[in-house]
Amino acid sequence: MTPDADADARTPAPEQPQRMFDLGGRTALVVGAGRPLGGAIALALAEAGADVAVAGLTAIEGEKFQVASAANQIWALGRRNMVLEMAATDAAGVATGVQRVDDAWGRIDVLVNAQDLVFAMPLDQTGLSDWEKTVAGNLTSVFLTCQAAGRVMLRGGYGRVINVVSLPGERGVANMAAYAAAKGGVLALTRTLAIEWAKTGVTANAVLLGWYEEQAGIADNPEYVAALTKMLPSRSLVKGDDAAALCVMLAADSGYMTGTTFTLDGAATSRI
Amino acid sequence: MTVLDRMRLDDRVAIVTGAGRGLGRAMALAFADAGANVVCAARTLEQIEDTATEVRARGGRALAIPTDVTDVAQVNAMVERTVAEFGRIDVLIGNAGGRTKADNRPLHEIDDADWRHGIDTNLTSIVSSVRAVVPHMLRQGRGKILINASGLGLRGNRNLNMYCAGKAAAINLTRSLALTYGPQGIQVNALATGLFFQTEAAAARWSGGLYIPVGRSGSSWEIGPLALYLCSDAASGVNGAAVLIDGGGLAGGVAPVGFAPRIPLPGGSA
Repeated sequence: MTPDADADARTPAPEQPQRMFDLGGRTALVVGAGRPLGGAIALALAEAGADVAVAGLTAIEGEKFQVASAANQIWALGRRNMVLEMAATDAAGVATGVQRVDDAWGRIDVLVNAQDLVFAMPLDQTGLSDWEKTVAGNLTSVFLTCQAAGRVMLRGGYGRVINVVSLPGERGVANMAAYAAAKGGVLALTRTLAIEWAKTGVTANAVLLGWYEEQAGIADNPEYVAALTKMLPSRSLVKGDDAAALCVMLAADSGYMTGTTFTLDGAATSRI
Repeated sequence: MTVLDRMRLDDRVAIVTGAGRGLGRAMALAFADAGANVVCAARTLEQIEDTATEVRARGGRALAIPTDVTDVAQVNAMVERTVAEFGRIDVLIGNAGGRTKADNRPLHEIDDADWRHGIDTNLTSIVSSVRAVVPHMLRQGRGKILINASGLGLRGNRNLNMYCAGKAAAINLTRSLALTYGPQGIQVNALATGLFFQTEAAAARWSGGLYIPVGRSGSSWEIGPLALYLCSDAASGVNGAAVLIDGGGLAGGVAPVGFAPRIPLPGGSA
């Protein structure tokens, strides 16, 4: 490939926007909005001006409440909102959900995958169905939403895919093989999409989130929190709000950041 | 307080080294847009005066202090003058650095003076700047340090031995500084920047990004929101990170740009 032969493959530079972090006129789909992390992200995107569709496992009572609450807060900000009752592990459900957003708003500019299904068990006690459920909840769901929303983004020539993963995706943690394999899979998926879609206007970035205050199974166990925070210079877990601000920055990015794994972990991975 | 309020720098004081042009200038202007006062440091007075004028036009206070970052005394004096003028330092952007044509040679052709000058410019300059600002940040109980490294700090490049080694050292310095000062409320992060050109002409001369996955080089202003986010209260959980902004370069790199094979499963898809 010589520069001359491929000269017309050059992509034009974007125009500098008037205001930084402005998502006015953009639409977003947040998966995992039935949990506090996804809810915080959805609200922050709306604060930055986006219309936001929130998806969660509304069959679960707690999640149904959280999704409805997120939608209400988005509405209160004066943005359009939509509740998608879908399991992100169900291909037909995801297709229908994405179709609803596309039908109503005609575009999807931002996709955030914030679903997090924590499972920890020694490998020799991990059943095949445990493995499959964990991989489906954390990885297959990301494949399905990236594919369905990605098609809408590719059609529009613009998109910001943000996949949130956690530390076991990058470093070994005992008893978390299925979870880690799935999260690591999301990192590889994200990098691949970044390259595959590099010239389409659709970017894909990952957030490598440290142990966070709202994380099910971890943050509600004081023993685990004590052990984990002892390692951190800040002596505190990161928060859903921290991830939310980062997602706003990534959602508003001009498009030169892609394939990045953005580490938000209070320096957890900086040390040996 | 909305997420947008948390990504402002109203009345904060930021020092930007290498502020006369390119990414340093772009970061200085983004900070000014977010309400900060900016100290513009670089060797060329005319260029930093120009950046300072732009900062003032955006409503911020600005100081242009000619500084050669390879000279510890000048770095110390610049920081002292900042404190004398503004009373505090909230943000340090360690952006100055670079390489010359002379650096782009096989290692056995590089003499000691070349090597030392390169490492002084890209690594020791950061050590001097951090050492000068940290006592003030410790006194305040908070601070943000952002080091502009390069994608070449995470990968190798033929002949750019000094630059790759110096930038890699800057990134690992970032991690150890993050652990050193994190308990005192100072976050230290690095940017792993890809190709950015200051003019269209420069981009064209270099064939303009054909070998970058997104198909273009970066425009300097694109660094602004990322740097601002990292230096704001919203990023208090980000510490020790090396953040790529490189058009997808480091996400790929093991196959040529445009390589997209199609290989069905044996026996075909179900």
